[in-house]
Amino acid sequence: MSKFIATRAIRGAHAAIKMADDTLQDALKKMGPDTPVVFKDKIGGGTAFYLPTIWGLLGTKVQKLGELVPVMDYARGLLPPVPAENMWLPYLGETLDAGAATLYAFETIEAVRFAKGEQPEKKDGFEYNGPINDTQMRAWGIQLVDGRMPGFAALVGCAKSTEVAVKIVRELQSKGQLIFISSNRNGRNVADQLREAGVEMGYDTFIVPFGTDIVSAIYALGFATRAALSFGGVEPGDYRRILLYNKFRCFAFVLALGPITDMEYAAAAGAINYGFPAFADTVIPNILPTGITKFEHVVSMPFDDIPGKDDLEKAERLVQRCIELRGIKIKIAKVPIPVAFGPAFEGEVVRKADLACEFGGKGGMCFEWLRMKGLDEVEDGKVTVVGPDMDSFAVGSKNPLGIVVDVAGRKMQKDFEPVLERQIHHMMNGGEGISHQGQRDITWIRIHKNAVAKGLRLRHFGDILHTCLKNDFGAIVDKVQVTLYTQPDKVKELIEQARAVYKERNARMAGLIDEAVDTFYSCTLCQSFAPTHVCVINPERVGLCGAYSWLDCRAAYEIKPTGPNQPVPKGRVINEKNGEWEGVNKFVNEHSQKKIERFTIYSLMDAPMTTCGCCECVMAIIPEANGVMIVSRDDYGMTPCGMTFTTLMGTVGGGLQTPGMMGHGKTYVTSKKFIPVEGGIKRVVWLSKNLKEELAEELKAACEREGVPDLMDKVADGSQVTTVEQLLPWLEEKQHPALTMDPIIG
Amino acid sequence: MPGVEIPIEKWTGKIKEVKLGGGKRKEIVLGGENTLPFLSFEGSVPHPPTVAIEIQDKEPAGWSPILLSAWGDAVKDPATWAKKAAEYGAEAISLRLVSAHPEMGDTGADVAKKTVDKVLSAVDLPLIVIGPGVAEKDNAVLVAVSEAAKGQRIAIGNCEEKNYRTVAAVCISDGHAAIAKSPLDINLAKQLNILLTDIGVPADSVIMDLDTGALGYGLEYALSIRERVRLAALGGDAMVSMPVLSHAGAEAWRQKEAKASQGMPPGWGSVEERGIIWEELTALTVLNAGSNIVTMMHPKSVERIKATIHKLMGKK
Ligand code: SF4
Ligand code: SF4
Repeated sequence: MSKFIATRAIRGAHAAIKMADDTLQDALKKMGPDTPVVFKDKIGGGTAFYLPTIWGLLGTKVQKLGELVPVMDYARGLLPPVPAENMWLPYLGETLDAGAATLYAFETIEAVRFAKGEQPEKKDGFEYNGPINDTQMRAWGIQLVDGRMPGFAALVGCAKSTEVAVKIVRELQSKGQLIFISSNRNGRNVADQLREAGVEMGYDTFIVPFGTDIVSAIYALGFATRAALSFGGVEPGDYRRILLYNKFRCFAFVLALGPITDMEYAAAAGAINYGFPAFADTVIPNILPTGITKFEHVVSMPFDDIPGKDDLEKAERLVQRCIELRGIKIKIAKVPIPVAFGPAFEGEVVRKADLACEFGGKGGMCFEWLRMKGLDEVEDGKVTVVGPDMDSFAVGSKNPLGIVVDVAGRKMQKDFEPVLERQIHHMMNGGEGISHQGQRDITWIRIHKNAVAKGLRLRHFGDILHTCLKNDFGAIVDKVQVTLYTQPDKVKELIEQARAVYKERNARMAGLIDEAVDTFYSCTLCQSFAPTHVCVINPERVGLCGAYSWLDCRAAYEIKPTGPNQPVPKGRVINEKNGEWEGVNKFVNEHSQKKIERFTIYSLMDAPMTTCGCCECVMAIIPEANGVMIVSRDDYGMTPCGMTFTTLMGTVGGGLQTPGMMGHGKTYVTSKKFIPVEGGIKRVVWLSKNLKEELAEELKAACEREGVPDLMDKVADGSQVTTVEQLLPWLEEKQHPALTMDPIIG
Repeated sequence: MPGVEIPIEKWTGKIKEVKLGGGKRKEIVLGGENTLPFLSFEGSVPHPPTVAIEIQDKEPAGWSPILLSAWGDAVKDPATWAKKAAEYGAEAISLRLVSAHPEMGDTGADVAKKTVDKVLSAVDLPLIVIGPGVAEKDNAVLVAVSEAAKGQRIAIGNCEEKNYRTVAAVCISDGHAAIAKSPLDINLAKQLNILLTDIGVPADSVIMDLDTGALGYGLEYALSIRERVRLAALGGDAMVSMPVLSHAGAEAWRQKEAKASQGMPPGWGSVEERGIIWEELTALTVLNAGSNIVTMMHPKSVERIKATIHKLMGKK
């Protein structure tokens, strides 16, 4: 905590308490303790929440002046002493207490003003709103809950100029933020500036001017308190839940414009209790450690130091930064491109006769590279096209293209880069007239003539990616910026860089081993069909459908914490060799309707993973051959166990645990953790031909790794062998290693 | 039968109790059992399933003449209809705001509010209100409905995965129960319950609509999803232990078997009975699979289902 801020806030709190005490005592003397106090806005709309901050946080109903006395006693008790010159460690806690005391003082002052008929305030014929009435609170409260409105910005003071004030307000409105106005600088505040510029204020325009001093800022917190009481199901007096509700549900912040007074520091400290951070456009010390607020507590953004060609651009950036710092995610309603967009266009094919131009494909050069950057290195929504655009390409021509996507986010991790990058395919395909295939440096994009005629250009690729990444992955992505390169030299240069990154990622993936993590992930997506099926996904085994890797699941969990991918902590090890852990057993048991009690990661024979119908491959033991056979979904032929894939599937699918049989993803065959208990890849005696071909290289590498480089020559496939009777002589002849291994059934 | 020992399952979970109505209004309690449907010898079934009658805020179009003739002119006015439904033994009224649908009249919040006010004052039964099923319109009219019914504890639907926050918010604020609708999928059902409780809807204010297919139109899915949800709930999964609502009537009467007229085709038997049986069987199936409340449409099938429930509850 900054001593500077703590000192000033605590000093401000003392001043606020004194002001409240004096006002209250004076009023008690003049009007008596039974004078009613009622909050109302300028149109006479009231509230059923008494003095809402006091009622909410303390559980005290105040209806008369006299009832404010104990409130003030309590507030005074919260006040810490002002830190002395030689005291260097003021605590955050004390400052927050001072902030809370300030809120009670402010509400007391406003209550007295109401009793005296001085509220809502009038100034030069302009009527301030005063506290928001309940009807309006309800309407906005619903929007806060359903996400249409992220929160509010409490503007304190006066902007650099009228133009800047208008720009700030417009930018906030465009983000859906409510705007509350209070306090002043030398007698002027944002409301004065908006009046000068002819900007309408009121409930209809989402701009509510509370009053000319900082005391009226209490109405913002009264609003937040009522929202929590109404929509958080919180009881009055349960201050902790009121504060937490606002921290997580109401994306509000204070934006202090111009030099800040002690009492404003004190009010900001009060707001921090609610999880509302304070931002300033002047130089003040930052309070960066996070905790009470979601992120930083206090951030200084001196207006003149903000990058931007003029004040208006600076104002825009200022708001942008506030939004980011408060962690507000804005959904974009529609992908802004001149062609239609939606899942309906995903399967589209662009035929030769309709082709406007293409990128990549055979003999072409096209790549996609999504990389993580720092939050200040990415300008959200920026799309840059370097080189000639689609309308200048010859009809049907093949052109080079490099798509570089820079993303930044507080919860973004380097490991999520490939997960997001793979989504590009699906996103781009949503555009009408865009056909996208492949990924990385084998990307192939074809564009329909009609799309170009409708105005589709390269920048729209950027718009698609920006919109979709933010909408679908907003939980981890805060900013997206896209650059599209079409100059051959540039593309060539960048594709090399990208390739180095792909290589690095592959190496990282290879290094990501089960032993290196203490958490696996579950996938229960298939429970829709196979109610007891749980995939436990470890770094070295993909889900049995082949679609979900450990990294995918981890990212999916970050994106949707309530979704079907949940972390499964390994817990205490029961049997290292078989890969049995207490945590995994417990998870699987709980999520399989208690059907599955034990679960090993590394064994086919002892409590293997359950199988649901969507596995890519099924493996089954052939006892006679002392090994296993693997048949893939694309193989329609007969196998040595006497069953086709479909029949086998019918035997093991549906969430059953069948020792000796197991569904799995294709790439599992080449994993280092391929049934290690049973001896690994050396156990494979029969493999679908298409798998052998499809995975030729990876299989070769795996066999070499396991010290059996010629293994694949000894493994039979459906073109050679379809019965056990044929299989045995084949294995004998080839001297398959499985024949001399320990018996698979022990 | 002497000598036959009835196997007793010991469940760890229990279905949550959700109250509707109360105060001056009749109160019903949904759920509360700690065993499978009607197995009162195994556990306790404190509240028999409720039979609600579904009405609309607009004279129905395309309904079977059998249904229409059962209600007569009452279908022209929701308040009259609700009263008549109460006379026919409804234990709750389920009001569908059809007219708010953009293609069925596109009426707004004010009309919805008025209709709900009228129905609430016409009968003292607990109320269920279902929006037109178009997200934007649902949100607009149900917010008004919630406010109009504040303090009467009605059930409001539907909350769906893509659109649940607004309805959830007003349910929290006005003390109603939220109906969480998921498309025959246990994962989505559970996820939606988590989402709703996460944003603050109390767990005893959520009713699940797991979606229903009529006899011949996916009733087996409706059965198995209920069964699985119930087994999971009794097995101890608190996030699926909310009571279940099924729109058995609307589903059954939508089908051609219920609507086709006499002799079309000839083998289909009496048109008078066919729709009623269709509805009855649909309702009976979902009740046996664990539904705690069914909404129905024809007075005759209501009567029969109520009698069946009575018997299944072991009452004379
Ligand atoms: S098979 Fe795939 S989708 Fe299904 S549960 Fe496993 S990982 Fe998830
Ligand atoms: S349909 Fe699969 S359960 Fe059946 S299988 Fe596919 S997702 Fe698994």
